[in-house]
Amino acid sequence: MQLSNVVTIFRKELTDTLRDRRTLMFMLLIPMAAIPLLTVGLSSLMVSQIQKVQKATSRIAIQGKEFLPDTLRQMFSDAPGLAEVSDDSLAGKDLVEEVRLGNLDLAVMIPSNFGAELEQERLSIIELYYDEAEMKSEFAEHKVREVLSDFRDAIVGRRLVGRGLTTGLLSPFDVSSHNVAPLQKMMGKEFGTILPYLIIIMCFMGAMYPAIDLAAGEKERGTLETLLVSPATRGEFVIGKYGVVLLTGVVAAFLSLGSLVFSLNYLVEDLLQNLTKTLAIEFDLQTIVLVFLIILPLAGIFAGVLLSVSIFARSFKEAQSYVTALNFAIILPAFVSFLPGVEIGYQTALIPVVNASLIIKDAISGSIEWRFVAVALVSNTILAGLALLFSRKWFERESVLFRM
Amino acid sequence: MIRAAELTKVFKDKKRGEIKAVDRVSFVCEPGVIYGLLGPNGAGKTTTLRLLSTALRPTSGTAFIDGVDVTKDPQAARRRIGFLSGTTGLYGRLSPVEMVRYFGRLYGMSGDAIAERTNKLFDLLDMHDFSHARNEKLSGGMKQKVSIARSVVHDPPIMVFDEPTTGLDVMSSRTIVQFIRRCADEGKTVIFSTHIMSEAVRLCDKVGIIHNGRLYVEGTVPDILTRTGRDNLEDAFINIVGE
Repeated sequence: MQLSNVVTIFRKELTDTLRDRRTLMFMLLIPMAAIPLLTVGLSSLMVSQIQKVQKATSRIAIQGKEFLPDTLRQMFSDAPGLAEVSDDSLAGKDLVEEVRLGNLDLAVMIPSNFGAELEQERLSIIELYYDEAEMKSEFAEHKVREVLSDFRDAIVGRRLVGRGLTTGLLSPFDVSSHNVAPLQKMMGKEFGTILPYLIIIMCFMGAMYPAIDLAAGEKERGTLETLLVSPATRGEFVIGKYGVVLLTGVVAAFLSLGSLVFSLNYLVEDLLQNLTKTLAIEFDLQTIVLVFLIILPLAGIFAGVLLSVSIFARSFKEAQSYVTALNFAIILPAFVSFLPGVEIGYQTALIPVVNASLIIKDAISGSIEWRFVAVALVSNTILAGLALLFSRKWFERESVLFRM
Repeated sequence: MIRAAELTKVFKDKKRGEIKAVDRVSFVCEPGVIYGLLGPNGAGKTTTLRLLSTALRPTSGTAFIDGVDVTKDPQAARRRIGFLSGTTGLYGRLSPVEMVRYFGRLYGMSGDAIAERTNKLFDLLDMHDFSHARNEKLSGGMKQKVSIARSVVHDPPIMVFDEPTTGLDVMSSRTIVQFIRRCADEGKTVIFSTHIMSEAVRLCDKVGIIHNGRLYVEGTVPDILTRTGRDNLEDAFINIVGE
């Protein structure tokens, strides 16, 4: 093994790769253009959806309105964001069915003896029908419940006063909760889960085209044989090529990370005024170093596997179809960052891709457990080495190189 | 000089079992002489040349490249060989200069030596006009010249041509044929394979007829014609392989 040969091969492959438009697209263009667009698009979509739903008036219908006491009827019509659908348009229709169809957000059922039971201080039940799968319907339920509970509190107060008691008897103290922007929290969580996934997928996609081009491409162009008869060894070729594929993978991953952080800090921030300060994503040096450490051996695994698949393929096209299949094998484990409850442990730390996904997720939320990081690093590095050895083995096999 | 000694290559195929692609082939190619391996597709020509150029390892037997045993020191053998085939391609995104430099480095040449050699070859092949264009933009004839320059950047004493004119247009084909002649005139050992009889007659000083992995007959073309009593190589070929 001569280092000068490896350097020669690495430099040539890097030059060649950087002149390839497809590689540049996956390595540079997608991270630097598509990710900001995606981030901003996704955020503004989420924001506008939620705001729209919150602002929207809920369409409700009350069955048995004539049994309502005047005060409650007044409260319903005064309540903000609630609009009663006119009786005429609902004449003869089943209200519950209307809710199910989405023509109504909520139906209130008042029992006919409501007023009388209230007078006699007996329990009666008001039924609400809504569709929890619909955000609009859910909001309607909250609003109606609020109106009813205000009315109930008023009655309780009146009854207590009638008996010479104060409301303090039933409520020794009050709890006042203040909503601290549930929207921002939600987005923080979303990005915390989407980021590891994106980094890993971009790492794979960045390495994909160079790997296909540097191995299957040699067969396709008819240059493989000229390499095989040159004095450089097959091992030197594999290492030079492996280096370039690994590099493009790492660069793609870091560009996506950088571009995502940039879009969150500068683009989405404007959109939501200071949102990023409450997004639990913090990128200090430690996080960046950690992400680099975890991505490097992972890119090594990708490079080894991709090169093996690629040299096995007879043509560029065949390599592409193998790699597409392989893509799914990466997407699924990378997806664990989306799953609540899956946490890093000694077992998950051993599984490549899964470990990287979970560790990056933890790093973003600032709760790094170093023992698992160590396990994952060792495991991934060993696998990356094995993948390199395996691809070297295949570069030495005549039946793979000259596959008919 | 090339000396093949009982060169044998067996491929394992799942469906067809063991296939003897090259079966105990022995021959000698002298410097300054063009040796042609003649045979139909699938006869074992390409495999034989791949064994000589060390792209494949022989199952048994060996070959000596200027006395170097290809099975014992393939690296040293490779340094002495220039290889070119009709299907050999180029790196489209590199220029001819970069392409030649890359291979010069792989053959262990110094930067100065590569520059000097490149200049000489580009003079000889009249390549200076397009030396910095991307290979993918070149015409067929230009590409062929780049392939030639690539194959001889290290000035090898031995040249291996595997069906060098297959799939080429008339002009490119002419360039290659002239180049093969020049190699022999310069005193290099030249072996080339073809399935085109007329090409063999036109170019070869010595012919080896190969079929089903075995070398049937060796000699000059007139020699073979006399021995078989035919007046053209095609009939002689049919007569020899007995089909």
